[in-house]
Parts: sequence; C-alpha cells; structure tokens
Amino acid sequence: MTLALASLLLPLGTALLMLLLRLRSGIWVIAASLGSLLCAGLALHEVIEQGVQTLAIGGWRTPLGIRFELSSLTAVLLVFTAMTHLLVAIYAQHSRHSHARNTDYWPLSGLLHASLAALWLSRDLFNWYVTLELLGLVAVAMIILSGPRAHAPALRYLLLSLAASLCYLLGVALLYGRYGVLDLDLLAQASEADHSTRMALLLMTVGLMLKAALWPLHLWLPAAHSSAPTAVSALLSALVVKGPLFILWLLWSRVAPVDMTESAGLLFALAGIVALLAGGWAALRTPLLKTLVAYSTVAQLGYALLALGLLLRWQQSELSVALWLFVLAHGLAKVSMFLAAGEMQATLGSKRVASLKGATQTMPVAMFAFAVAGGSLIGLPPSGGFVAKWVLLQPLLLEPIHWPWALGVLLGTLASAAYVFRVVALSFDRADATPPDYDPDPFAQWLALLPAIAVWGLALFSQPLILWLSEASG
Amino acid sequence: MPATELLLDITLGVLLLILAGAALHGTRLYTGIISFIAFGLLLALVWARLGAPDLALAEAAIGAGLTGVLLLSALGRHADEPAQPGSAVRTLATLLLGVLVLILLLRAVLPLAQGPQPLPALVNSQLEASGVSHPVTAVLLNFRAWDTLLELLVLLLAVLGVRQLQPAGRPRPGVWPLLQAWSRILAPLSVIIGGYLLWRGSHAPGGAFQAGALLAAGVVMLRLAGLLPLLRWENGLLRLLVLVGVALFLTVAAAGAWFGAGWLNYPAHWSGALIVLIEVAATLSIAASLSLLVVGERQELGR
Repeated sequence: MTLALASLLLPLGTALLMLLLRLRSGIWVIAASLGSLLCAGLALHEVIEQGVQTLAIGGWRTPLGIRFELSSLTAVLLVFTAMTHLLVAIYAQHSRHSHARNTDYWPLSGLLHASLAALWLSRDLFNWYVTLELLGLVAVAMIILSGPRAHAPALRYLLLSLAASLCYLLGVALLYGRYGVLDLDLLAQASEADHSTRMALLLMTVGLMLKAALWPLHLWLPAAHSSAPTAVSALLSALVVKGPLFILWLLWSRVAPVDMTESAGLLFALAGIVALLAGGWAALRTPLLKTLVAYSTVAQLGYALLALGLLLRWQQSELSVALWLFVLAHGLAKVSMFLAAGEMQATLGSKRVASLKGATQTMPVAMFAFAVAGGSLIGLPPSGGFVAKWVLLQPLLLEPIHWPWALGVLLGTLASAAYVFRVVALSFDRADATPPDYDPDPFAQWLALLPAIAVWGLALFSQPLILWLSEASG
Repeated sequence: MPATELLLDITLGVLLLILAGAALHGTRLYTGIISFIAFGLLLALVWARLGAPDLALAEAAIGAGLTGVLLLSALGRHADEPAQPGSAVRTLATLLLGVLVLILLLRAVLPLAQGPQPLPALVNSQLEASGVSHPVTAVLLNFRAWDTLLELLVLLLAVLGVRQLQPAGRPRPGVWPLLQAWSRILAPLSVIIGGYLLWRGSHAPGGAFQAGALLAAGVVMLRLAGLLPLLRWENGLLRLLVLVGVALFLTVAAAGAWFGAGWLNYPAHWSGALIVLIEVAATLSIAASLSLLVVGERQELGR
C-alpha cells in the first residue's frame, strides 16, 4: 500500500513544487511519472504476492473513516495511468505544438495523474465525489490551454460536469440518509431494493454516465476532446472518461440489489450497442480528423457499456474482465491515435480528414501508428482489442439465445473498421499528396507508434492480465 | 413548536422559493445575481434554524458572499445584453419538470426519516481521540481529513483554471474616499473575526473555510479601494500562500506514513496542535486563493 501511495504522491508533490518554483521543464514530470510507474509496478507485484490490501486512512476504520483498497485491478489501473502519463509527457516535452511551453500544462498533468490515482484507490462514495470534481476541473483547465477557440467547448464541458457532479452528490446524500454509511463494502451489505435506493442509483448513474460520456449523454465529448491540445486529448480520451466508468462499475456490480441489476443491465447493454453504431456513424461522417478520433471514443465506450450491461443482466462477473480489457486496450490505442492525428494535423496544416491524402508517403510512421492503433480498435487479432472482444464474445456465442448481442458487436466492429479504413484508404492516395508545411518530426511520430505497439503486445501478455483482472472482479 | 416560530419558518421557506425563482427567471442578469445573493443569505438563516450553524456560516460567507462577488465581477466584464423576454412555454415546461422531479425526490427522501444513522454517535464516542472537541471539525480534519485535503486541491485547481483563461485586466473605477476610509476600518475587523472563527473551529462552529472567506473579503475590499498592490500569480509569496495549505497537509500526512502509525495518522498527543496548524495554513491558502479568484490580475489597464 505504501508503494501505491507513493505512486499517487510523486506526481502530486511534483506538481505543487513546479507551481511554487515556476518550473517550466517537462523533465520533472517525466521523472515523476517514471517513479510513479515503478512504484505502481512494484505495488502490482505486491498485490499478486500478498493479495488485496486495504488502508484505513488516519487509522479510522469504516464507517468513520475513508478506506483505500489496492486490488489487482486498481494496481493495473495505476500502472496504466502512470504509463500513459509517461508516454504523453515525453511527447509533450518533445513536440513543437503541445502548448506545454508557456502554460501550466506540466503541473496540471501532474494533478490529473494524482486525481486519477486517488480515484482508483478510494472505496468511499463521498471521496469519489471529490475526486470526480478534481478530474472535471483539471480536464477543463487543460482543454483551455489550446486558446480562446477552446473556451466554448470547455465551458459546456464544465457546466455539464458540474450538473453531473450535483446529480451524483444528491444520490450519495440519499444513500447516506438511507443507510448511514458511505463505504462501498458496508453499503453492499446493507443495500435493499427500495424507492430511495432506486432513486439514488438513478441519480448517480445519470451523473456518472454524463461524466464518462456514455451514450446518450456523450454530446459534450467530441467538441471538448477535439479542441484540446493534442497531448491533452490523448490523456482525456485514454484516462479521464474511465474514472467515472470505474465508479459506475463498482456501484452497479457491488451495491445495486440483484433485482434492480437485471433491468438496468438490459438498458446499459442496449445503450452500449447504440453507442457503437451511433458513434461509429458520426466518426464516419465528420470532416475533421480529431473529431473523428473523439467520436471513436464514444463508440468504443459502447463496448465497455455493453460488457457492463451483460455482466449485470446475467450476473457473470467474468464479463468485467472484458470491460477492463476494453478500457486498457482502448486507452493505449487512443493515445497513439490522438498523438498521430495531432502530429499529422499540425504538420500538414489542416484539421480536415481530407488533408491526409498521401500521408503514407509524407508522414509514414504517424500514419502507420494510426493504422496499427485502428487495428486494435477494430479488434484484429492478435491485438489487445481482439483479446477484449474475444473475452466478451465467448459467453455470447455459447448459447444461441445470446446471438443477437453478438450481432450487435459485429455491427460495431464493422462501424469501427469503416471509419479507420476511411482514413487509411485516403492516406494511400499518393497521386496528389498534401505537402507538409515543414519537415515532419520523426521522433514524435515514433512516440505515437509506441502505445500502438504496446496495445498489440498486450495480447502476448493477456494470460496474466486476465488472471489479475478476474481476481479483482470475483 | 410555538406559532411564531412556525410562522417564521414558513415565511423563510416561501421567500426562498420566490428568490430562487427570481434568480433563475429574472429578465436581467443583474437582478438574477442580486436575487441569488439574497437567496444565499436566507438559506444561511434556514440552515441556522435547522441547527446546522457550520453550514450557515459557510453558506453566508462562501455561497452568498464570495459567489455573489464573483458573479458581479463577471457581470462587470460582460457587455450589456438586452433583456430577454421570458417565453411562457419554457416557464411552463420548467414548472412541470420541476414538479415531477420534486415528487420523485420527495418519494425518495420521505422514508429517510427512519433510516439508521450510526455515524453521529460514533463520531461523538471517538471525539476524545480526535484532538478537537467540535464534531464537525473532527470529521473534516481528522476522521475524513483526506476529503478536506482533496477539497483544498479543488480550490487550487479553480485558481489554476481561471489563470489559464488569462482574463484581461480592466479599468478600475475611480477610488472613492469614503470606500477607502471604510475599508481601513473594516479590513482589520475581518482579520479579527476571521481569526476568531478559525480559533473557535476547534471547539465550536467555525473553521478554516469560513475564516478564509472572511479574510478574502477583507483583501478584496482593500484591493478595490486601491490600498493593496496588484495580486499577481507571478508573485512568489502569493504562490506560497496559495500552496501552503495543501503542502503542509501533505507533509503531515507523509510524515505520519514515514515515521508514525500511517498515512494521515496524527500522533496521539499532537493531534490537537497539528489540526490547528493545518487549519491556520488552510485558512491562509483559502484566503489567498479566493482573493486571487476575485481580484487577481495580470496587469492593470489604464483608466
């Protein structure tokens, strides 16, 4: 547990020091992310050796105090968060257009890292509210970095995020009034299917779905994520929307009474299928490159929502493995896609998808990164996306009665293939290639390729990963 | 309950509703803001009537006072907009939706009166060990200190977020001699009352947030009267003030984890002193952050 705390404290302390001393160099954040990654890795090792650990903060046991729990899933998420931050920090330090030079980008990214770590570790409903506030504010502050054009989407995001926070808080208040405790495990033991609990869960679900941009409450996401600076878009899509999803998953799989989960599960699963199709369709139609990538986030979150819904409907906890595999695979692929898209957009001088004409010739590495990451989003074997889809499909294919859901997954796959190939096909049109405004930056392109390779490497690593994730979900 | 008290409560409740409606549906932004401030003050009274003086103080200082000032200063930067006539359909739809939500919420809230509430008794039984004698302070700074630490970070992020917007300075109105004279009298009072609230927090309603808000009010007044120099983030001392609360809190927490019994675990005989120390630092940070939010500027424009 000390190691997990260190993984939280390193970026937080670094951010505060950078603010105080006005340090403007990314080296500090890179070092802190590296240290945090090491600590998180060791914490994961500790959990595998010794099992789940809990910490009563301040020595106060629940229900009086707040409890941290370090399960193998939490440890994996800590590693994932630190790794993503490390990659993005190296990119932002190197890239010419990351808006990191004369802004507060570095301390803000440290604070984002710490907020996420606090969220993964906590198991207390009110403490989660505070971490959600932190996440929302830091995300908005980072979107604004790209200048006055981002103000309108950032403000919309802020207002919706505040409304979502209030919904969540009202739900927490209702649950506290009904059961008198805030700890997740204590609530799980006490919860009953009465009117107050239903209302509380409804309110919290609406708030969390809005924050996680789950269909149909996703409308703020494309504008907000595509108007942010490239490095920030990558962090937002890979990490920030996953925080509320984590709370939603714990809330429904642990606290919600069984007779409520069945009907809610159906709704979640249907929303997931619609998200896959609607997000995919919007990504296929949009003229702007970063908006395409952002809509693909909306679509990919559909898989997570589908896994959550089916998990609740059939009470099959193995499906949470699929959920978290989707989150990890999508996170890595999306970092790669946003970095590649941002790099190409800045070098080719246009935000439009059409400007990628001939990009395989002008910026081959970035385009390769985009295609490789896209392959994982589609679910081509043997990528991380494929492993996740395989785990999800296995229980669906076993019984003929579940085949309609498998058809939904298939349609979603088709949609993602369509928008990925839309870009890839265009980039092979070398006859009339868009000339780059200045020399493409090979190092930044290779950096964009790194997470894409990692997501394909995830497949080699999938056996222990599935084992750890299933231990956490049991 | 005596009839006069009932009458007071009913009046307060009805006034709250009217003011909330005026704040939301006023035709001019200025009217809306003034109604909102009045709403906050009345809400503070309602909290006091409900026996929650801590909430009442926080609501009056932060909900009505500082939020009101922030809204007014935002209005000052905003170009005048023509009054929008309210549409009847919209008002009707709002009303309908409001009533529907109200019914749903009432059905959820009413059964809560019988719910188990183990925590207040538990807090009181552990009060001895917490180092302070006021239960709210014990919860905020000992039992659930992690929440409070993160809340201080939320405030820091609010300041950082506003900083990213890079608001332009604006011309100050001419300083009014009476304002200067009054603020010279009121500012020391805000320091005294703020300090008193802070000190009181360890055994009675009060504490860092309320005290910080009062101090900030004093700073804002002095700044508006032109008696203080520009508050700029570039000023190292000011940054130190903004960060000292979180930094000290984190240091205590980490020291507990390193040398003592655990993360955020105060040593047994030191908890009272440590809590007061953290509260002082947090008050300074809150005051500095709130002042920066209201009157912090990069540069002053000419008149």
